[in-house]
Amino acid sequence: MGKLCAILVIVISTCRAVAAAEPATAVQPAQSDWTGYYALARGKDLAGLKVVSPDLDKVIIAHLQPWAKAKMEATDGVADDTGGVCLPDGIFRNPPFAGRFEWLPATDRVVMVFWELNTAGVRRIYLNRQHPRNLLPTWNGDSVGHWEGDTLVVDTIGFNDKSWLMSGMEPHTEEAHLIERYRRVSNGSMIEVQAVVEDRHALTSAYTYTRYYKKIDGEMPENVCNDDLKIWKDWRNAALKPQLDRAREVK
Amino acid sequence: MLRAALPLVLILPSAMAQSTRTSAPPPDLTGVYQPIASGTILPGGLKHSGSPEQVPLTPAALEQMKTVNLKDDPGKVCAPIGPFRMMARESTKIELLPESSMIVMLFEDLSRGLMRTIYMKRGHPEKPELKWMGDSIGRWEGDTLLIDTTGLNDRTWLNDAGAQHSDALHLIERIRPVFGGKYLEYRMMAEDPKALTRPYTYTRYYEKLKTEIMQDTCVDEE
Repeated sequence: MGKLCAILVIVISTCRAVAAAEPATAVQPAQSDWTGYYALARGKDLAGLKVVSPDLDKVIIAHLQPWAKAKMEATDGVADDTGGVCLPDGIFRNPPFAGRFEWLPATDRVVMVFWELNTAGVRRIYLNRQHPRNLLPTWNGDSVGHWEGDTLVVDTIGFNDKSWLMSGMEPHTEEAHLIERYRRVSNGSMIEVQAVVEDRHALTSAYTYTRYYKKIDGEMPENVCNDDLKIWKDWRNAALKPQLDRAREVK
Repeated sequence: MLRAALPLVLILPSAMAQSTRTSAPPPDLTGVYQPIASGTILPGGLKHSGSPEQVPLTPAALEQMKTVNLKDDPGKVCAPIGPFRMMARESTKIELLPESSMIVMLFEDLSRGLMRTIYMKRGHPEKPELKWMGDSIGRWEGDTLLIDTTGLNDRTWLNDAGAQHSDALHLIERIRPVFGGKYLEYRMMAEDPKALTRPYTYTRYYEKLKTEIMQDTCVDEE
């Protein structure tokens, strides 16, 4: 029985850190107050708050290099959408578009568990280390963070080039670099994120956006991307066939 | 996109929501853990015992198992396989994140394990909506975390051989650190009057790892 569970490994134990982020500092004592279930704020919840780049697709497309724009236009929004078949689709698309997650602080990390667990998955923001050298590319990259006063600054690199920057199918390369600044606003009822996305190979310059996530008074429900297993299997196999064929050719 | 969301259900207090009866703080279970290799014996003779493959099935459940096509195993299409099976697997790697009102368990094999949330300050809902991972509540008995899970749907299997369970499946787990927290002793008991002739218990020993959980992409087995 061919068990094919491809694990994309971030090797950290013996790697020297590279300086993409500032040295980590101690966890802020009040971080436990951040614990909770959050959802992207919309409508009246945004009263008085400034949302930068509300039409993020439009902003990103304006920053795409010609080859990236051509690739975007050649992409099939249905057949090429890994998220549509319950496979990972990275963390660029979900937070500014759907963004529902649990924020779970620990001593040396902050864990963001997305409600869309099968596609957006889990982010672990490590507070006590820097990026490993020789990162293997992954869907969600490698995130490290440090505190600047009341703001958690998160630096993420090490992405694969399979995900899209947004639902408009905008591509990026493995050089993509995400810098986020998280802080609590509205008397702690919301988390604000100011994000900067850089990719010297795909973008003409960095773009920025701001989003707000409202703390929900309730539990994050269970979510299985597609609990019709027959449909799931058929769709997944169709989506994965090109990858499996390539793997067999290599063997 | 095909998404299934199960809404929140009514939260009610119960005896399970009682706080610890001891004055000592509960142990900190934060960390990444994996079962020790099969056949390993820890000091004091501690070792794995039991297996989901050995569940005592009722005659009806035995007959039902014979009709199961093993190709329909949820685990083969990267779907959740349920806590009873998942926690016994030697390859299972978990991350425990205790928070103030809950303990979150994340699986490295995200597709098959999903995540479990053990609520520490409430009881089971009066009419739970059936879920893949059920509804888990917990409390401390000394240094032992007692987890009670009900509300499981009947779409997962009890073992690789295709043994089925009903939505009456009830799981009781006991987790306690041993050897200064280097290991967790994990006991799982399942009862299901429709599928099992008696409650069944297996034991696993999880070792605390110094590694990080990895990102994985599950690919279906053919």
